[in-house]
Amino acid sequence: MISANAKLSTCGLSKAFRKGNAQIEVLRDLNIDIFPREFVSIVGASGCGKTTFLRLVDGLIQPSSGTVSVDGKIVDAPGKGLSFVFQHDGLFPWRNCGNNTALGPELAGRPFKQARELACSFLRLVGLGGFDQHYPHELSGGMRQRVNIARALAAGADIMLMDEPFAALDAQTREIMQSELLRIWQETQKTVLLVTHQIDEAVYLSDRVLILTVRPGRLKQEVRIDLPRPRELSIKRTPQFVYFTDLIWRAIEQEVRDSINQEARTLASLHS
Amino acid sequence: MSKDRYLVAPQREVGRFRLGVWLSTARWFVSFAVAIALWELCARVFIDNTLFFTPLSSVVIRAGELWSTGELQRHIYVSFTEFVCGYGLSIIVGIALGIVLAEFSLIRGLVDPWISMLYATPIVALGPLFILWLGIGLTSKIAIVFLVAVFPILINTITGLTTTDRALIEVARSFAANQQQIYTKVRLPAALPFIIAGLRLSVARALVGVVVAELFGARAGLGFLILNAAQSFDTAGVFVGVIILAIAGVVSVELLKWLESRLAPWRESGEQE
Repeated sequence: MISANAKLSTCGLSKAFRKGNAQIEVLRDLNIDIFPREFVSIVGASGCGKTTFLRLVDGLIQPSSGTVSVDGKIVDAPGKGLSFVFQHDGLFPWRNCGNNTALGPELAGRPFKQARELACSFLRLVGLGGFDQHYPHELSGGMRQRVNIARALAAGADIMLMDEPFAALDAQTREIMQSELLRIWQETQKTVLLVTHQIDEAVYLSDRVLILTVRPGRLKQEVRIDLPRPRELSIKRTPQFVYFTDLIWRAIEQEVRDSINQEARTLASLHS
Repeated sequence: MSKDRYLVAPQREVGRFRLGVWLSTARWFVSFAVAIALWELCARVFIDNTLFFTPLSSVVIRAGELWSTGELQRHIYVSFTEFVCGYGLSIIVGIALGIVLAEFSLIRGLVDPWISMLYATPIVALGPLFILWLGIGLTSKIAIVFLVAVFPILINTITGLTTTDRALIEVARSFAANQQQIYTKVRLPAALPFIIAGLRLSVARALVGVVVAELFGARAGLGFLILNAAQSFDTAGVFVGVIILAIAGVVSVELLKWLESRLAPWRESGEQE
């Protein structure tokens, strides 16, 4: 059931891993449609398969069953209309920021100079104009994530998949990066699918928040965040915002408790 | 929400860096001056017998004599040739074989025990055998230097190519890199610091290899010079050879350290953190 106007669709997406003799079912029957220029977040208890879901969507791993399609075309390999922003920044330490950002165009066979110019323009967009000669080890965590985002943008895909991109940052930097991400999203008109464990981050950024159950991850609930845009960071202190975070937390709370119990049972079974 | 306040350009601290270089140079000078003075003092005051120990000044004079006859240049040239050929060969073979073995894990499994065994074996002890097989000339020296120096390069190349960060390979894959691009744009550059570290470990071993090979039998070379001088009670001559070798060692290791800092600057700063 691929919707005609969906940018990104998953249809019956499931994934199971084999671990020794056990079959671990990570995701079960996910049917998700994301529309052009939409910002959608996925939240869930840790270990619910959020990251696996993103990797499936990107084509980095193959689903056990089901399909992913972009603009109605099935995704079977990475890099087709999707670009990935990794949790660990994943920058190549031997490349300066300009060359890191130019990776996508370079791999696609663009001439070096053209790729570099493109990279510099996206570095400017993420607020790092003039930093193209700097190496990742010279930058702070927040700046590295900006390069990570610039690299994804420079690859030219319409859809950005983001895997907890701000998880490793301190609280203040994370807030700034959230508002920066909104600005970049509005300027570039990308479709964004973001995975996070931070409920307030999901509410602040998203048009819709999808809540996954514990393993095997299924769609538990969908929350439409109809807060007005553009959103200032101060919106986080409004009653409507708190209402949404509370709503999502209540949906997720039981899942988190279940997840903790699930972990405990797995550990116990390993030791017995 | 000022963006400018957040984005502070990283400080390069040029001033402090220069001061650091100046200080370390000064330390070198002081250290050398003290060592030279102590040497001279020891030789002149405490050990009066020039057979046991000889003042630095007579070493310099002896070096001058050897130079004026052209003998010193000949020894340096011979040893240098042996070093360059043997070490060069070990670089070529070490890296090439490392690339092949990193690719084929089946062959690697077969060869690995041999590599570890030969790496641990004091190959210089086989020196006399090589002289017997390959003669007293250049070939036997190249063989010994090669065998002594090749293993650190080989092992480091294999390690560098087989321990690439999975996360970085995944990044390249997500940007639609094909296998060849993953190799040339991720695995090779990631292995480069390992390979250079291997070169750095090998260079000192290669120098020792040159000298030891010459001690077992040669017609010329710095090892030959040392042996010859020792046998004719020319202690100053021994020190001439030793000091030249020491300088060669320091220069080559420093050169490779510099290369390492140029090609893998992120590793250096990672150690500081």
